Amino acid sequence: MLSLKHIRKSFDREEVLRDVSLQVRHGEVVSILGPSGSGKTTLLRCLDFLERADGGELTLDDLHVDLAHAKRRDVLAMRRRTAFVFQNYNLFANKTARENVMEGLVTARGVSPDEARKKAEEALAWVGLLDKAGEYPSRLSGGQQQRIGIARAVVLDPEVIFLDEPTSALDPELVGEVLNVIREVARRGIAMIIVTHEMAFAREVSHHVVFMEGGRVIEEGPPEQIFSQPREERTRTFLKRYLTDSNMYYI
Amino acid sequence: MEALFSWQRFWADVPLLLPYFLVTVKIVFWGIGVGLVLGIVLACLRLRHLAWLEPILHIYVSFMRGTPMLVQLLIIFYGLPLVLAAVGVQEAVRWDKMVFVYAAFALNETAFLSEIFRSAILAVPAGQLEAAYAVGLTRWQAYRRIVLPQAWRIALPGFGADFIALFHGTSLAFLVGVIDIMGRAQALGASTHHALEGYLFVALLFIVCSLGLRVGFNYLDRRLAYGR
Ligand SMILES: Nc1ncnc2c1ncn2[C@@H]1O[C@H](COP(=O)(O)OP(=O)(O)OP(=O)(O)O)[C@@H](O)[C@H]1O
Ligand SMILES: [Mg+2]
Repeated sequence: MLSLKHIRKSFDREEVLRDVSLQVRHGEVVSILGPSGSGKTTLLRCLDFLERADGGELTLDDLHVDLAHAKRRDVLAMRRRTAFVFQNYNLFANKTARENVMEGLVTARGVSPDEARKKAEEALAWVGLLDKAGEYPSRLSGGQQQRIGIARAVVLDPEVIFLDEPTSALDPELVGEVLNVIREVARRGIAMIIVTHEMAFAREVSHHVVFMEGGRVIEEGPPEQIFSQPREERTRTFLKRYLTDSNMYYI
Repeated sequence: MEALFSWQRFWADVPLLLPYFLVTVKIVFWGIGVGLVLGIVLACLRLRHLAWLEPILHIYVSFMRGTPMLVQLLIIFYGLPLVLAAVGVQEAVRWDKMVFVYAAFALNETAFLSEIFRSAILAVPAGQLEAAYAVGLTRWQAYRRIVLPQAWRIALPGFGADFIALFHGTSLAFLVGVIDIMGRAQALGASTHHALEGYLFVALLFIVCSLGLRVGFNYLDRRLAYGR
């Protein structure tokens, strides 16, 4: 359904993405793992045109765009069929929780305010925050803000949601509530690409796991295979270090 | 010998001076009104770093912020009609002279407010714009609905200070012959040989208005706190 081909991106002289290709099927959850600086965030940002790739193609069902040369209209079309969940939430600071969720519907999609309000409240109820509908983000905990961030994405009925480390800015005790909401999104059958360092979660929720390093896809496959029998030495080293690190951290 | 100051003359001056306050208010109105619109447009343009336009805008802002208001007022008041006539707008020399006073203050405000808004827009976290793009907003929608309202909130204290400074600065207009409240007080003083009462009234009026403006801006500041 979503396919990315040959994505390349450099910052100044530094090659951050070197020919990344990836497939996501309908309703599929793809997790991207990899060490810091491997280009995971940059990849997601290129897909939503928050960063301009130097080359590559993106196909979303019938919509086909050249990442480097996409015109304004294609960029908008792509953004209106996808959604993004940010590491630091990025809720609109000048809007209440309800208005945050309504904004894309009303302004981008032209849904009537009454209809949008109804949908927004459904989405807020779905993430368990209807009672916070009238609050501004500055009054909400990180976990609550991120759940609203997910509601804001889901309410747009996107074909795929990009999530960049959705829980890594959260206090450990708030991670669970957000992961639960993401599980719900998966259950709804909305496709997702998730960059995460939550290994247990990635293993549980993903249909497909991708390991990146140095701007390349090193290895990909079903979660059981990647986590239990990684083929590549680099994947093994990363997982070993990561799993022991995080064990040490949490025990 | 007459007393230097009398309350009787003070109260007698009030109705003679007050109508001229309207002149001050009009200068502030046009200065802020036009300056605000053009200032925001200028700030947005400058943030896009347009290759050929940016040096011109930069020089414009530096000039307006770097030279005394009086110099600008004199140049625009006497020079702009001639410039307009030279480029084919002959009737400009017959326009109401006040237009050029408004223009001088508006052009000056444009520069100052553009800097206030430029730094305010830069102070809005980049993630706000990105989130707006991500939910499908166009650049214009994202600025109008997300970035500018937040920038406005950040700019408010600076804007308030600028507003009050303009209000005080309008008294310069009487140096090109505009009879505003300041000019009227001086004329009254010259004809009656009692200037103090008039000046005191002007001073009090300005103090009251400044305080009123400050209270107004503080109220706005709290209204726009977005929960913080
Ligand atoms: N705007 C930018 N300008 C210059 N270099 C950048 C920029 N954004 C990212 N980079 C560089 O690109 C590389 C990849 O960054 P990226 O954020 O994509 O990594 P990541 O895999 O998401 O890492 P992390 O796990 O730490 O989030 C890094 O070396 C980073 O320094
Ligand atoms: Mg990252």
